[in-house]
Amino acid sequence: MAVKEGLRYTKDHEWIKVEGDTGTIGITDYAQEQLGEIVFVELPQVGKQFAAHKEISVVESSKAAGDVYCPVAGKVTEVNAELESKPELVNEDCYGAGWICKLKIADKKALDELMDAKKYEEYLKAL
Amino acid sequence: MQGSTTTGTFVFESRAVEPGPSVLYDEHVKRTGKSHISAFAGYLMPLWYSSIAEEHRAVRERAGLFDCTHMGVLEVAGDDAAAFLDIVTTNRVSSMSIGRARYGYILDAAGNVLDDIIVYRRGEHNFMVVVNAANEPKIKFYIRELIDEHAVVDTEDSAWAEKLPGLDVAVWDMRDPNRPEDRRVDLALQGPASIETLARLTDERLAVDRITGLKSFAFVEERLAGIDCLICRTGYTGSTVGFELFIDPDAAPRLWNLILDAGGPLGVLPCGLGARDSLRIEAGLPLYGHELDGRFNISPFEAGYGWAVKLEKDFFIGKAAMRRIAATYSMEVARIEWPGTKGIRPVRQDDAVLNERGECVGWVLSSAKVEEKQYSLAYVDRNMAREGTRLGVYYLARSPAQVQQGRKERVEKGTRLKADLAGVVSARFPKF
Repeated sequence: MAVKEGLRYTKDHEWIKVEGDTGTIGITDYAQEQLGEIVFVELPQVGKQFAAHKEISVVESSKAAGDVYCPVAGKVTEVNAELESKPELVNEDCYGAGWICKLKIADKKALDELMDAKKYEEYLKAL
Repeated sequence: MQGSTTTGTFVFESRAVEPGPSVLYDEHVKRTGKSHISAFAGYLMPLWYSSIAEEHRAVRERAGLFDCTHMGVLEVAGDDAAAFLDIVTTNRVSSMSIGRARYGYILDAAGNVLDDIIVYRRGEHNFMVVVNAANEPKIKFYIRELIDEHAVVDTEDSAWAEKLPGLDVAVWDMRDPNRPEDRRVDLALQGPASIETLARLTDERLAVDRITGLKSFAFVEERLAGIDCLICRTGYTGSTVGFELFIDPDAAPRLWNLILDAGGPLGVLPCGLGARDSLRIEAGLPLYGHELDGRFNISPFEAGYGWAVKLEKDFFIGKAAMRRIAATYSMEVARIEWPGTKGIRPVRQDDAVLNERGECVGWVLSSAKVEEKQYSLAYVDRNMAREGTRLGVYYLARSPAQVQQGRKERVEKGTRLKADLAGVVSARFPKF
């Protein structure tokens, strides 16, 4: 299961990449692998505020629907509209072209509560 | 409490068991990640190896091999085995020829479906009965209760109850590790390349001819690569060509690998439970708990299998209820085709089915994506089940956030809603 350096991770298998005040959000390799072939991604509305751990997106495969929770509080600034017609990008490149949305992070201190790549890898091993 | 109630309903409390490996577990973990293996009916079974879509396609275009060793396999033997099965199951058994199989039901005296089964006649007094994995403990218990005179046989006429204990019949679990010989578990090889694959496992021309010549629901007992196989032209995929192979559990890993090695050059793939489900849905075949029994208590008539319930038979357990249902049922299972290109939200179980005016006329029981379409089996008003009828679907809320936005979590019949997706009723049992 691929884990990418430089990202922060949640226990629910979301990742966030931080650049300045902006966080890019997606689901991890482990999560996409669990879901199987992803056929639909419900994207959040641009401009909407989300509290941490609130559901921000739903990713559906032919077998299951998985909730995506917001790793930290913030406001959605951009969504990956390409997923509307190519949801399989989440399977193919979950840390790259399969990103879900970008967020203006309300408080960057909240990022400290998330795991780094090494911790997340340990967390996966214990599952 | 467990057993029959006075109204004839048979109650069984299934015990939660720690799921164990199927006899092919070691082969599965060689071919797929552990994260693709899931507990199903008490066994750890593969959901998929490559992908559900790829395995589905392999069965339609070439062939696929399924681990069905979790299915229950019972032997019913004795001078009165046929008479016993004629009482306990809905289809005709006494009139079957040796080497033939028949689909039918085991009901309780109130007419509830306890399982759908296939009966194989191996001899004048010897039958093999294949039951669903999830129902196996219940069926074994029920049959024991019937033989021991504890279960209600008929709520109206007790004459038949008296016949059962006098019958010369014994029931054995053919997968039981303690059984000394003739143990059997099920592997399924389904799809057009199945015959060519099996032919590569034997040098005997006549055996190939006998396998090739099998009619639907007929079987032969042959040796393939030195392994005793009961080879039957049955399956759960809708494939015109497809076999179930009943073999000794100890030989299962070897035959599994032999088939995949021989079939590899033909494009034969191992297939998991995911493709098993999408194939049977596309083919319109019912799954117990979804299109049979389940929360709507769906009868064989509503499921589209009235032909497997022989009301002309003198008696079978549940007959009075079946006669009543056959005359009055108002809903049935329809197969609906929806668009299914990527980016369309998948239709799921319990989603509401709407008529052209937007009124709820039923609910989705099972659904699968197949190539650029989705197929649902849905429980709908009978006048909505005709091929060509236009229907809509309303997606139930998939998450708490959607509930907050006003999406319903449950829809009653007659509720008026706006359809999220439009589809059409297609032929119930397509052939592939």
